[in-house]
Amino acid sequence: METTDFKKAWKTFEIIALIFILLSILLILYFVRELLTPFIIAFVIVFFLNPIVDYMEGEGINRTLAVVTLIILGVFVLLIIWKLIWPTLQGEVNNFKDNAPVYIDRIQAGLNRTIDLLEKNISIIPKGTLGKALQQKINGFSSGMGDVGSLIKIVKGLMTALIIIPFVVFFLLKDGRKIKKMLIAYVPNKYFETFLVLFHKIDQQISNYIRGQLIDSFIVGLLAIIGLYLSGVKYSFFMGAVLGIVNIIPFIGPLTGLVFGILLILIDTGSTVHLIKFIGVYFCIRMLDDIIVSPLALSRSVHVHTLMVIIVIMLGGFLHGILGMLLAVPLYCSIKVTFQTLYKGLIEYGNW
Amino acid sequence: MSKKRISNVILQKIRGKEGDILPVLRTIPIFEGLGFNDLKKIELIVHKRTFMPDEVIFYERQPGAGMYIIKRGLIKLTKTVNEERVKISELKDGEFFGEMSLLDDYPRSAEATAVEKTEALGIFRPDLFDLIESNPKLGYKILLRLSKRLASRLRETTEMKLKEIG
Repeated sequence: METTDFKKAWKTFEIIALIFILLSILLILYFVRELLTPFIIAFVIVFFLNPIVDYMEGEGINRTLAVVTLIILGVFVLLIIWKLIWPTLQGEVNNFKDNAPVYIDRIQAGLNRTIDLLEKNISIIPKGTLGKALQQKINGFSSGMGDVGSLIKIVKGLMTALIIIPFVVFFLLKDGRKIKKMLIAYVPNKYFETFLVLFHKIDQQISNYIRGQLIDSFIVGLLAIIGLYLSGVKYSFFMGAVLGIVNIIPFIGPLTGLVFGILLILIDTGSTVHLIKFIGVYFCIRMLDDIIVSPLALSRSVHVHTLMVIIVIMLGGFLHGILGMLLAVPLYCSIKVTFQTLYKGLIEYGNW
Repeated sequence: MSKKRISNVILQKIRGKEGDILPVLRTIPIFEGLGFNDLKKIELIVHKRTFMPDEVIFYERQPGAGMYIIKRGLIKLTKTVNEERVKISELKDGEFFGEMSLLDDYPRSAEATAVEKTEALGIFRPDLFDLIESNPKLGYKILLRLSKRLASRLRETTEMKLKEIG
């Protein structure tokens, strides 16, 4: 009897210890999250390229050769895109940066008119209170606007990351399987099968999601640039690129892109024709994405309730910005699948 | 040194060493007749595991994840019949078990326990499915051999049932 009680207590202690270790790891990762960014980007690239390397290897090409070829090809494609799109995009960004003070003035003037109207018509609001609060907000916003233009800062950060990322990508693509095998070798025999299945499920959830989202966003961005350019909307490359990038985040991303586009047109020219064109192109792309692109790109991806997606994305954004938002859904699914598998493998079948 | 020996040495340098896993894999019917390159790909998904005496390899009714090949040692398969553990069989070097779990996660029909210190090679479904997906040609060969084995098992069971009926 006493032995059974001791065993039960020991098992509970094991579970608590495991949770404690996992939480400690998460806490450490949270504190060093700034350093993690290049590694997260490298992981995203690895998840995206791994199936191609596997395919090349299956066709009889040596894995190292396949990885080197793919990286060289990838850099080459990126350079071509850079050469083709960057001059136009840079021109549009510079134009936007130059016009930023004018835009802020326009926003301020528009808001001042609205406040005057509100203060005149609603007697409860003391005169000047709203205006003062608004002025403070605008000042904060305009200092932030300076950062929008400082793409150079981001590029500098990327340059540092560009040294780390290719190395991590190369080694993870080449030896990822061996590393995974080496790590799982440490799992005790008792839990080995359960953890192997679990690792595989997590790997699939994350890689399918990231691959799907990246392909989907690339196509959406490309379609947006072409659509906006052909319909003659100003800042077509800039807005198309933004629509593509924000599309990585489900639900919240496309909506942010729509609001951003409408606001940009309103404060730039305020042209109704441009606005209608933009909204038209936006909804055409959304329809194409929902009917054709998304089902194809995300066919093997995860299925999570919309409300849950929004909640975890907001949490991800709070913890680690855009990358946090990108990884929020697959991480949520991984945690879910971990509990499901552990319950099925360890508790339900009594071999904990 | 003869020409043949020189060419063998060169070939081994290019291919890499054979190691201790490949000779074991060659003896398993599921991988029978596969070439060096195919076996090298399978070697990548093999997990070496060591079990101590009386250590459980998997439990009865636990969802199956894959098969084990005994490299060195002895294991026993037991089953619960009328709330009692009954030994079904004992397996030794070069024998394998659990291959049905390479196809689905149907609960294990028996419990496997190491009788003495046992070195085993584990091949598991998720890894095998990945290998089949990225190497369809090799996947076809493995699945064909696995199907043959299942067919012969089914034939044996049918014959046994027919004998029972009389």
